[in-house]
Amino acid sequence: MNSIDLFKMAFHNLWRKKTRTFLTVLGVIIGTSSIVVMLSLGIAMDQSFQEYIDSMGNLNIIEVNSSGRYYMDEQASKNQKEMKLNDDAVSKIKAIPGVKAVMPIKRASMKMAVGKMIGYVSVIGIHPEIMEEFDFKIDRGRLLLPTDKEVMIFGSQVAFDFTNPRLRNDYGGFSDKPPVDLISNKMILTSDMDYGERRSNSERDKDYKPPKPHEVKGVGILLESNSDKDWNAYMNMSTLKKILKEDEKFDRQNNRKRNKDENEYGNLKVKVENIEKVEKVQEQLREMGFQAFSLTDMLKSMKEQSRKTQAILGGIGAVSLLVAAIGITNTMIMSIYERTREIGVMKVLGADLPDIKKLFLIEAAMIGFVGGICGLLFSYLVSYGLNKIGGGFMGGMGGMGGEIGISVITPMLSGSALIFSTVVGIVSGYLPARRAMNLSALEAIKTE
Amino acid sequence: MEIKQGEVCCFLGTSGSGKSTLLNLMAGLEKPTKGTIKINGHFIQKMTEKQLAKFRQKYVGFIFQSYNLLPALTAVENVSLPLTFRGIGKSKREEISKKMLEAVGLKKYITHKPTQMSGGQQQRVGIARAFVSYPPIVFADEPTGNLDSKTTHEVMGLMLEMAKEHNETLIIVTHDKSIAQYADKIVYILDGDIQKIEEKNKEENYEKEGN
Repeated sequence: MNSIDLFKMAFHNLWRKKTRTFLTVLGVIIGTSSIVVMLSLGIAMDQSFQEYIDSMGNLNIIEVNSSGRYYMDEQASKNQKEMKLNDDAVSKIKAIPGVKAVMPIKRASMKMAVGKMIGYVSVIGIHPEIMEEFDFKIDRGRLLLPTDKEVMIFGSQVAFDFTNPRLRNDYGGFSDKPPVDLISNKMILTSDMDYGERRSNSERDKDYKPPKPHEVKGVGILLESNSDKDWNAYMNMSTLKKILKEDEKFDRQNNRKRNKDENEYGNLKVKVENIEKVEKVQEQLREMGFQAFSLTDMLKSMKEQSRKTQAILGGIGAVSLLVAAIGITNTMIMSIYERTREIGVMKVLGADLPDIKKLFLIEAAMIGFVGGICGLLFSYLVSYGLNKIGGGFMGGMGGMGGEIGISVITPMLSGSALIFSTVVGIVSGYLPARRAMNLSALEAIKTE
Repeated sequence: MEIKQGEVCCFLGTSGSGKSTLLNLMAGLEKPTKGTIKINGHFIQKMTEKQLAKFRQKYVGFIFQSYNLLPALTAVENVSLPLTFRGIGKSKREEISKKMLEAVGLKKYITHKPTQMSGGQQQRVGIARAFVSYPPIVFADEPTGNLDSKTTHEVMGLMLEMAKEHNETLIIVTHDKSIAQYADKIVYILDGDIQKIEEKNKEENYEKEGN
């Protein structure tokens, strides 16, 4: 028998008993949609976790601190291995398989002046060539170039820190407009914390010679990223090192202690090829004696939690699909009883045994498939409704799930739901189909 | 006992004599407890269910006492069932089936469902169905049991005509002696045993048909 005929015949048989077919399909609809809706809640949860973590920074990036300063890392303290974050360490880390780029960070708190406006700025020295790797995106102006020297770019929030010391009450307020434009050719960068504030100068030692201010240029503002990048200013690593070295002389005169090795970095950021490798690289970094932290750690525990929730929710949904599966089996058995004679006639007329089995399997699969499709449509409806109604509640939870909603049906979920419901149909139809196949043709015909 | 190709053979006996069982054995619907059945070189009793299905598809047509048409299907669909099982395409099998229905005189009833037809018409659909795949053997189990005598003769005539046309073997089971008169060979069965086998002269048979 060719398959078109089989399908037609199966459809015909189902169509003959519309009510019964409809009721059985209804069971599958309820089963499918309960599973899909339940899982969609779990997926939405998962995604909002992901979004939450994404908003905190890049998941591929591991932050590395030297273990010397913090003794929280048990392993490192046991090993008594103090690793310095210098160029040597950077090249070692670069050699770890899976590491894509390493960004050493040298941080300096400095003061800047633009016109009359003055602000404290945390200046970070980086290598311009790896900026793109670390998701520096420019809003206005341009990124740093390797050839740039006294050139800086700023995080989107830096400008808000500038105030005019002459206007005492003006702290910039909370206006939307930054008080200064940081894309400017005339900027002063200095490590003299008293720069621009005359009143304190008089209290100072007369020997005091402030470090020389440096002239710099501002060339770009970074796109707002909701991460720590918004609050920092960036400049070429070598220039920053040079500036710090120069200023150090003045510091010594002022007996300020600076025991840091100038080649040592505050911390490093390591970019890993993909999220899967983050854990491995992190492990290796710890073995090397560094402190390593990444958002993947956090995501992992959150995912664990949402997986548990999904399993519970999915389990609840699965119960109703199980009931639907029993319904399919029941319908098929009933239908075989009714059609015993018909099956017998088909056998006597020379229907192949596998064909008879296939016929019943197709009928059961059709119930599952149609139920799956309708259930899926219904799920989309429910999901839409949930997001409409539930969106309001979740809005209050601050960021969490704000844009994602509380129910997400991914194409993957809908596809697998459809396959699953069809498979459930086939599985529940299998025994009845076997039974139909094994009916004795003679017995079947004798039934009056 | 031996039945030759193209022969019209009739098993005659009272109810419970085992004539239907014999038919079922030959059609492979029942397994014999002992003895052998050989059709066209195949031993029926040795075949598996699957092989039997293939065998029936290839060699056997079946006419039932209670017609056994599928109620949901139209006449033409019923007739084309055996062809459907063979995997023949829709247009081709319906063409053959329509010709077959025409041959049994049901041209007007092609799209009728069995419930819309009389007993004689239904049995004629049954005959068309049995012969549609030109099987070498056609079994008829009390084909006229549910029909009145006038229709019985029409139906019998039709069956013989079709069987002769393609030199097909026709095996009829009946308790009606008048029906046995159509056959070339009559096998009398009583309580499960063959009492006697009566062979008829072919010419004589034709004469009778003429009457």
